[in-house]
Parts: sequence; C-alpha cells; structure tokens
Amino acid sequence: MQLSGLRYGSKLLDLVEFPYPEVITGGANKEEIQQMLDKHGKLVVKPFFYGGVGKKGKAGLIKIVDNLVDALDAKQDLYFAKHKHGIKTIQANGVTMEEFVEAELEVYFSITASTIHRKPIFTITPHGGVDIESLPADKKKIVEIDPFIGLKSFDITNALTDTGCPQRYISCLVRFIPKLWDLYENYGLTTIEINPIRVTKQGNQYIPVACDIKAAFDQDNPAWKRIGLPSTIFQSDISPFESEINKLRTYQGQSDVVELNPKGSIIPFMFGGGANSAATETLGSSAIFASDFGGNPPYEKMYDISRIVFKHWLEKANVLLLIGGKANNTDIYVTFKGIFDALRDHIAENGSKPIYTVIGRGGPNLVKGMFYAKDILDTLKLPYKVFGFDTSMILSIEYAKKIDEWWSKEGKKEYLRLTSKNS
Amino acid sequence: MRQLKTKPFPYFVGVHSLEELVTENSRVCVINILGSESRKVTPVSHEYSGGNIVAGVQYGRSGKLETKIGDIPYYQSVRDVMDNGHTFDTGVIYLPPTAVSQAVSELTQYNEDLKRIVIVTEKISSRDSRNIRFLCQEAGVDVIGANSLGIANVWDNVRVGGALGGDDPAETLKKGSIAIHSNSGNFTTTMAEYLRIAGFGISTAVSSGKDVYVHFALPEFLYAAQNDPRTKAIALYVEPGGYYEKMALDWIKERRFGFNKPIVVCVTGRWKKNISRSCGHAGALAGGGDDAETKEKWFDDYFGVKCFNPDKPKVSKRGVRVANIQQVPDAMKTVFEKLDEEPDFPSDGDLSLKPWLSDTIMKLPDELNIPVFRAISPYDKQIEEINKQVGAQYLRQNMRNTSGASKMNPGTQVAELHGKTILDLSKNSIEENIYFSIAKVLPEKEDIPSINLLLNIFLKMNPKAMLNIDTAMANGATPNAYISSQIAMIGNKPLLANSRKQAEFIIDLIREFGIHENKKIPVEVHKYIREKLLTKKAPKKSDVADMLYKEVKKSNKNCIALKVCQYILNIAEKEKMYIKDQHEFLLATIAVCIFWKPMLEKRISKKVAEDSLSYLYVISRIFAYSVIDRKNNKFWQKLTDKKISNINNSFTDNAFKILFNRVPTGDELFEFQTLIGLTLTNGPGTISAKGSKESVSAGNNISLAFVGFMVNTGLAHGGNGFEAIDFLLNTFEKINITDPSSRKNDVDLDKLASEAAKEYTRFKKHSKEFGELNYKRIPCVNHPVFKGNDVNFDPREQFVSSELEKRDVYNVFLDFYHKLVKELFNEGATRNVFCVNVDAVLAVLTLKLVWKDFASGKISKQQIQNLVFTLFLYGRSIGVAAEIADHRDRGQDMDCRTPQRELKFVL
Repeated sequence: MQLSGLRYGSKLLDLVEFPYPEVITGGANKEEIQQMLDKHGKLVVKPFFYGGVGKKGKAGLIKIVDNLVDALDAKQDLYFAKHKHGIKTIQANGVTMEEFVEAELEVYFSITASTIHRKPIFTITPHGGVDIESLPADKKKIVEIDPFIGLKSFDITNALTDTGCPQRYISCLVRFIPKLWDLYENYGLTTIEINPIRVTKQGNQYIPVACDIKAAFDQDNPAWKRIGLPSTIFQSDISPFESEINKLRTYQGQSDVVELNPKGSIIPFMFGGGANSAATETLGSSAIFASDFGGNPPYEKMYDISRIVFKHWLEKANVLLLIGGKANNTDIYVTFKGIFDALRDHIAENGSKPIYTVIGRGGPNLVKGMFYAKDILDTLKLPYKVFGFDTSMILSIEYAKKIDEWWSKEGKKEYLRLTSKNS
Repeated sequence: MRQLKTKPFPYFVGVHSLEELVTENSRVCVINILGSESRKVTPVSHEYSGGNIVAGVQYGRSGKLETKIGDIPYYQSVRDVMDNGHTFDTGVIYLPPTAVSQAVSELTQYNEDLKRIVIVTEKISSRDSRNIRFLCQEAGVDVIGANSLGIANVWDNVRVGGALGGDDPAETLKKGSIAIHSNSGNFTTTMAEYLRIAGFGISTAVSSGKDVYVHFALPEFLYAAQNDPRTKAIALYVEPGGYYEKMALDWIKERRFGFNKPIVVCVTGRWKKNISRSCGHAGALAGGGDDAETKEKWFDDYFGVKCFNPDKPKVSKRGVRVANIQQVPDAMKTVFEKLDEEPDFPSDGDLSLKPWLSDTIMKLPDELNIPVFRAISPYDKQIEEINKQVGAQYLRQNMRNTSGASKMNPGTQVAELHGKTILDLSKNSIEENIYFSIAKVLPEKEDIPSINLLLNIFLKMNPKAMLNIDTAMANGATPNAYISSQIAMIGNKPLLANSRKQAEFIIDLIREFGIHENKKIPVEVHKYIREKLLTKKAPKKSDVADMLYKEVKKSNKNCIALKVCQYILNIAEKEKMYIKDQHEFLLATIAVCIFWKPMLEKRISKKVAEDSLSYLYVISRIFAYSVIDRKNNKFWQKLTDKKISNINNSFTDNAFKILFNRVPTGDELFEFQTLIGLTLTNGPGTISAKGSKESVSAGNNISLAFVGFMVNTGLAHGGNGFEAIDFLLNTFEKINITDPSSRKNDVDLDKLASEAAKEYTRFKKHSKEFGELNYKRIPCVNHPVFKGNDVNFDPREQFVSSELEKRDVYNVFLDFYHKLVKELFNEGATRNVFCVNVDAVLAVLTLKLVWKDFASGKISKQQIQNLVFTLFLYGRSIGVAAEIADHRDRGQDMDCRTPQRELKFVL
C-alpha cells in the first residue's frame, strides 16, 4: 500500500504540520487556476497516479506554467498521462497543480525500514531533487535511528554537515525534519520519502517545504487508518476478487491472494508462503491468482474463501489445483472439506462445470482430506489426480499445467462427450 | 545505551554453534499456551522433545495442559511462572500480533536467564518487530521469527516453537548432517522430507520466518552452522526482499568469519517483483535490488557455477543453486559426491509422480496417464480403511444449545433449516420438505415418486392401533399426547431394525468391493451375497411386497445402489433363492437409492442414510395417527388399509385428506403446504426442538426422540395457534360468510375491525383501571424486528401475503386482520400500527380451510382446536427430524443436562 504526490500526501504532512505548497486538483475551474496563478506566479502541474510512483520529473511529466493557457494545456497533456514504472505502464488519474516554491536548496530525506541495519534508517542529502541512487556516497548520508528515541537533531545536523549543506539552512531543517519521525512512527508507515524538500526564504526565515512525497504503509499495522485517507486510493491495487477475499483477512493470514492473470486457466489453492512463492513461479501465466491459505484456516473461513474463488473463477478455469508441501499444522481434512463443500454447493446452485482437479499435499489428516475430495469429485463426476507428499510438489504443479493444456485442447471435449453419453 | 555486539557481528548473536540453538537441555515456557494453535502443537512438541516445556502462560488463568507424558502447568503471567519455581531459557510466543512485543518485554524483564525467544505469530507490524529486536538486542536474547514455525534439533529429538514436522515429527525429521534454514515453515518440513527420501537427515532445522525483519537471519545461521560438528552441508530456501543473504555471502567473502561448508539453495519468487503488496510472507516483497533474480545472482556468483541442471549435474565445493525445491535432494547428492561423502542413510524412494487416488471417468493420453501407486506406509493402510467410509463425519461435541440443522436469523427473526428459510421451504410440498429435512438438500424430481411411495406405504397400519387413540381422545388428551403414545410404541420394531441393517449391508457392499458405476461388479460379490444374504425360505406374500419387488426390478434410475440391488435380485432369481428380510431389503434399496447422492456428497452421514427409513416411517405414522374423526373419514380408511391404492399419490395430498377429510383444491393444497412449511422450525431454542434433542441426549431411539419433541408441545406451544382462531370465530360468530376465499361476502370488514378495535380499547382501559396489567391481548399482532417503526411488519407474514396475492388467493380473515391493526392504532390502543404476524397467517389459513365444515356443523370447535395443534405437529415433526439426525450425528450422551453451576434454588 503506497501513495505518492501531494494530492493525498498533503494529508500526511498536515498531521505533523510540515509545510507543503498549496495544491489544487485537476477538478479546479479556470477561475480557481487563475487565482492560484495570481497568488503564486507559477504552478507546477503533475499527473496524479495511484500507488507509489516516482521518477515523474525524469520522465518529463512535470510542467511548470505561469499562465492559464499553459496551465490548461499542461492539464490536458498530463491528465491521462502514461508512465512506465518498473515493468508496469500506468495511467494517471488526473493532475495536481501546486504552488511553485522558489528555493535556495533542495534536500532529499527518507526514513525506511532497513534489512541491512535491521532497524529504521534515515537518508539525507542537501543535493536533492534527483535520484538518490545516482548520487555518490559522499554526498548522501545514511544514519541508523534508535526506535525508542527517534530522529536525533544532532544526527541530522551531523549528516547535513558531512554532506556539504551550507550552515544557514541546517537550523530550519533540524527544526522540521524530526516531525517526520512522528509521522513514520505513529501512522503505520514503513517508508516516507520527501524529495525535494525545497528550502525557501520567507522574510528572514528559511522554511523547508515538502514538494513531493512518497509513502508506504504497513498492511499489518492498522495505525494508517487513523489518517483518514479515502480507501479508494489503494483500490487500484485491489481487484474485486481480492477485495472480497480481503474481507476475510485476520491476523492469522490464511486468506492472502493476489490476482495475477484473470485470463489464466488454473485456480490455484496454495498452502504456505513457500508454496505460494514456488508454485506461482512454476505456474506462470496459467495461474489466475497467487494465494496463501496456509496457517490452518478454520472450516468456515476456508469454505467462505472457496465460495468466493469459485464464484469468480470456476466458470473460466480448466484446472483446480490444491498445492502445498507437507503441512506442519494445517489440517488437511478441514481445509479440503471447506473447499469441496463450497465446490459442491457452487455446482448445486450454478450447475456443473467441467474442470480437472489436481491435488498435491501432505500433512495432518491427509488421507481423510484426500478422500473427502475424492468422494465429492466422484459424486460430481469430475476427474482428478491426487498426489501425496512423496511426489515432488513442483512435479505435481507441472503435471497440472500439462493437464491444463490437454484439457483446453481436447480433454474437456472428451469429458463432455463421455459424461453426456453416460447421462 | 550502547549496542551489544558479539564478534564477528555488528550486533548481538548468542549462538556460537547450531547444536546449541536448542538442545535437550533447553527449557521452554509457552506464552498463550491455550491459544488455538498452541493447544494442538505444544503437546506434540512436548512429547517429541521428552518433556522440555516447563510451564506456559495464559493471561488471567492458571491450570494444567494435558499431554501424554504429563501435564504442563500454566499461570497467568511470566512472573507467576518464575515465582512458582520454574526456570527456563527459551520463550515461545503464540499471541495475536499486537500483543507480541509486550510478551517479549515481559519475558526479558522477568527472566534474566532467557536466551532465545521463538515467535510463531505472523503479521506482526514491522514497527513492533523492530522494537522486539531492540529489546532483545539489549537483553542479549536471540529471536527466531517472527512468523517462524520454530527450530528442531533432530539429534536431540527436540523441537521448539511451532509445528515443524507436523503432528508426527519423527516421521520426517531423521537424524543427519544437513542444516536447514528456510524462509517458509512449510518448506522447512518439506525439504526435510525430500532430503529424507534421498537419504539425508537433518542436524538442525530453522524456520526463520519471512517478515521484513528476519531476526535469526542467514549471517548468524551460517556462522553457527560452520561451528556445528554435526552439520556437513546446508539447505536454504530463500524468498525475495531483504539483504540478509547478501550480507552473509559478503561477510564470508570478506572472511569476517570462516565458512567452508557447501550450500544448496533454492530462491523463488521472481514473479513478486511485479506486485506492490505482499502475498504470503510479509517480507517477501522486493524493494530495490533485493528481488529474486538479484538474489539468485548473489548465490550464483558465490558458488561460481550456474543453476543446477539435474541432467548435467555440476556443483562447486561451495554448493549450488537449484531452480526449485524438488532438486534439493539431487543437488545435495552431487555435492556430497564432490566432497566424497556418503548420504546419511539409504534412500527409500524418489519424488516422481505417484498418484494415490485417481478418477475412473476418463482415460488420459499416455504421457499423462500415470497409474495409481500404493501410498507409502502408513498411508496405504489408512487409504484402505478410509476407502470403506462414506458420508459426512462430525466431531462429537456438546450440542445442548447448539444445532447444525436449524438457526434463527437474529436480524429477520426468520428461522432457517439447513441454510434455507422457512419462507422458501413453505413453497415446497410436504414430501419435498421431509426429504430436505433428512437429506439437507431438496430431492431430485425423479426421486419424489419414491419418497411418496415410502411415506404412503408407512401409512398402512393395523386399525387396532387406533383403539388406544380413541381412548386417549375420549379422555381429553391433546393431539401431541395421543399421537406420541402410539409413536412411543414403535420402538425399534423389526421392520425398522432390519431395514437399517439392510441399508448398511448395501452401502458396505458397494464400498467394500469398490463397486463403481463405470466398473463391472466384481465376481466375488456373487459368492459374498450368496453367503450373507440369500435364503431358501420364501418371504411372506403381500400386495405391498409384490409391488415393491416390481418397483425395484423395473426401475431404470441411474443409481449404483439400485443397480447393485437389482443385481442381487437377479442372483436370487437365478439361484432360485430368496433374500433374507426381503421386504426390508426392498425398502432399504429405495431409501439408499434416494439418499445415496447426499451421502456421497457428504451432506449426511452414513448413519442418517441407514436410518432414513426410520425417519420416514415415524413421520408418516404421526400423520396416520393424527386423524381427528376416523370413523367418518373414508380417505383415511383407504390410505391406511393394506391395499395398494393411492400409494403413488402425493403425500401432501394424502395428508390433507387425513386431516380435512376431503379432496383439496389446488389453492387449498398450496395453503396447506404453506402452513406446514412455516412451522417446520423456529430454531433450536424452541422447547419442541429441545425436547427431541434431550431425548437423543438421553440415548433414546429415533421414535422416542420424536416423542420427546411432542411431549414438549402443549397448549402454550403448538396448541396456542387456536387462540387466534378462537378470537376470529368470536368476531365472525354472527356474520354470514359462505366462502372465506370470496371477496363478495356480505360483510363490512372496516366496520367489523373498527368495532373490534373499540371493544378491545375499552377492555384494555378497563383492565388497566382495575390494575390488571396482564390483561388478554389480541393474539398474533406485533413482531419484534421492526417494532419501533411507525408501521410495523412481520417479514414472514408479508412473504405469505405476497405469495397469496400472486396466486390471487383471497382470505377474508387475513383482510380483517390487516384492517384491525390499523383500527387499533386509530383508536389509540397501540402506539404505532402493529403488524399482523405469522401466527395470524397460520390461524387465518387454517380457519379458511375448516370454515365450511364448521359452519355446516360437520366439525366442532374442539376438533378445530385439535386440528390446529395437529397442523403444528405436522410441520414441526418434519423440522425436528433434522434436529434428531443432527444431534445423533454430533452430540454426546447426556450433553443436554444443565451444568450444576447454572442451577438455582429459589424460595
């Protein structure tokens, strides 16, 4: 869960009274834009993306305008701008128009959880406004944070001094930057990055102004909900299927899903984080989603999850795959009962659907669970193969892939021919 | 405070060698020992480890957790554990995520001897995880996890923390020379299993967890593995996210610590770089430069060889990376060959595709057509045993105030049976609902004639049985009393006992011999049947028996049970023999056939399928004994005699004739089945349902469980439906209504309602003036769900009214009731417009059905009262069949008794 830009980032900065430029959104009318121009002289027009999207400046997606015509042109150009972020191309959802902040200095600042230091760290440079990775080591400073104390002013002073920040700016930065720790610490953030903080002079005082923000939230720390961000801003991340399953999410996990390919042909019930990782990799684009239903889910939860899965995907799939290693604690009978009761009930309500089931599993109550599956599949007259834990999990998955291929080419037709003949 | 550091690390690590991470001398305290996961896992760990858990903590409670090797005491806090003289060096935490950091604080604060904490909990926030590390670094405590399944030292037979190795750790965890460190708990066990099959055992296995912060990470693990004389090689499972592996490999290269043992590593999760939030492990989310591909490269560079290719196996002395965990054993073998070392023990198989179960529906192409293999021991024996089981299975539990059959929806106050509301069920015929109550699913169309056949056969009786009922009626017994007196005498009569036995025989035969639709019946079945089922003694002849024989023989239903039974009949004919208890066998054949699918679908237990005839019999008999005026009821006389006429009729139709002594119209039949449907259940809390459940709990048979239900009905429950009828009869006493279904009756309902409301208002005022607050109310108005609304309504009444409207069925009494509630409000007798509730619906429908007979003097008021009560018994007997079956499946003997602590004595 991430956000970027001031449209919603300003809400975070408000919480700790960190200065930021005045912002209007693309919904503003001509009069409002003109008023902003009259007030500030120049505006920065940026596309707004859901999620944590950076490097907009580098991609030429930031425009500075000083008149209404240019402002409207920029708005039109950027409103549905496309941006390649990582391997994904994403589309903007409107624009923001921000007050242009004159600056004498641009600072980069971030706090993040570091697995190298195994604690939070902050990174700072007075040479901000650029990619932090592109800066040489002597121009940026990484400092460990004592989580029970937070950001220490002297650490910031020392880091800025070491990286060549002129002394006159340090005082204002030291005054404002520690507020960002309060934000990081109290609202469930795992990363906050402000780039640039533009240090501007107002009267005799220097003021640091946060001109762009990126934040990542910890899904397992509900503190972010206190910010009051609209839930829709994270919804670009979440499909209707995921959203429905997420309602069942508890601290015990057991219902993690990520939709991967809605056009895929294998419904994969994966058990355990390892199976999730390895199986998704092996299945590739055949997998409709990645899942982790491990952690010994109770019957009711497994049943509810399965009802949602079948409601969304049974119609489209060739293969139902239940895959996991040798479970430590997950009761195979309970989980299989949940899945196959849901399959039975789905078919009772919606009619039969030709699908091939492949199971590869081990763990407590294994045989009882396998027979539960077998009995229901036999009754539903659906074909299946069930492998024990003495078969490699990966081979079972590869077998399911081959079945998937055969099923779409000829298996399904053959099945329909046989079953219609017998009925 | 300055950071504690242990060379060669820039932080604290309390473990020098893996063999000390956890040992036979480790003493453990489990926090939240009674948590749902711990309650199952902790006793297994304790037993496997020879009793290493000295105590547990269950906040706010103390007591003992039973294990096979002795109880584990638990206390309400860590301080109490210490105060009670228990010493331990290892804490295991099973708490929900938000409580974990507090437990860590408590453990470190109260136990200075603490060395390690294993955190099983997943989804701890990274903020708490970071604080935990800080606390433990200061206290000099190693943390394993979070989201860890624990540690196992196989040489010492010790596992601490989670459930590594599952419920039988010794099956997978064999002593050997491989140390495992895995980001996945499941893969820790799965890799151990794969390695075991290939001949490699385990020294120590660590499930590290894969949160953002991995507290016992690869650098310290490899350092400890190097110093462990038991460990010859390392198996790793790694996911994206974090720089732990890079740090470890860099430090080895930099010689921060010496390391020369080979590693076989599997890195998965390339796909995760495309997602922006975690799925599975919280920390397995790549940021910049720590995705799976990058991690693969770190290892490939370290090993100096490419990813392992099983066809051209090549490894370096440092080890090799494998593409997936199935290659771990082969790669490990190659590594051992390179080191000139032998595996720990002989291999006992391989990981090739070995299906344990397969369908028989279709033949696969050759490359996919893998034959079924015999499962490894002991699973092969389990398969043989379980193969014989069929039907749903339940864990027995206390079912006193619990039901798996019915429930009341607290929001709508509409009761449900097997997940369907009584409103939906009221659209079904009686025979459909009887079947549904037992089978938990509505019957297939083709099965309905069979259900009717059985129910109608069971109506047949010896008329002498009615003499007792006549006596009871003459003594003023209520219908529940005179019907149940006869039902109690059914006991476990030979017809039921033998048909149950026959049903069991048929089901067992099919499962034992693996008889399947797509297979020919095995030849040995013939001999078995001859020995077990056939006799030379001819059965007693009767019309019903002949009809049943023909019915079964000619049926062409697609049911394996039927085919087997037809096969048996053919054998008997060929051998010129008969079937023992042939009548019961034929009945059982039909019953098994109609309940076969719900049994295979695990909706009902095998026992319910075997008992199904008993349920059908008792319900049918309740209807048969319920006749109110048998001497004048020609329909009843025909239905219950020994002839086979009417046997294929709809049971709903027959039931109507028994009760109302006439042929129903289509609308009347609809109203009748609606009445029955609405009274099927009112949830498991009703005293009628409780009566049946208590009878089961006392160990009674099915017929007596029905008696239990009936003796728990009476004039206040079941018979109370008459109150509204009585009210209506009094109101309409002097009004000439010829046909209550006609809108053309010469009656001014507005006026009638207004007068009734005025009369009631006067009565209410008068009662209050005289201090009588418990005055008689107008029956069947108001309902709790929308009580506060300006206009209240009962969703059940609205449903029935709309169904009646759809069919254009008019009911003058219902119309009156609707007007009455408005007039009561207008007169100020009620604060808002009350609703007409479902009980009123039952009353008006019933009154309409008996109105003409009552008006003509054919039926007395007393008989109407009995009839109303009987209608309730009809519906409820169907519903309680489900409660009885459910309680017999899941309940325990005496589970309905009230515990001593809940009992009170009053003066």
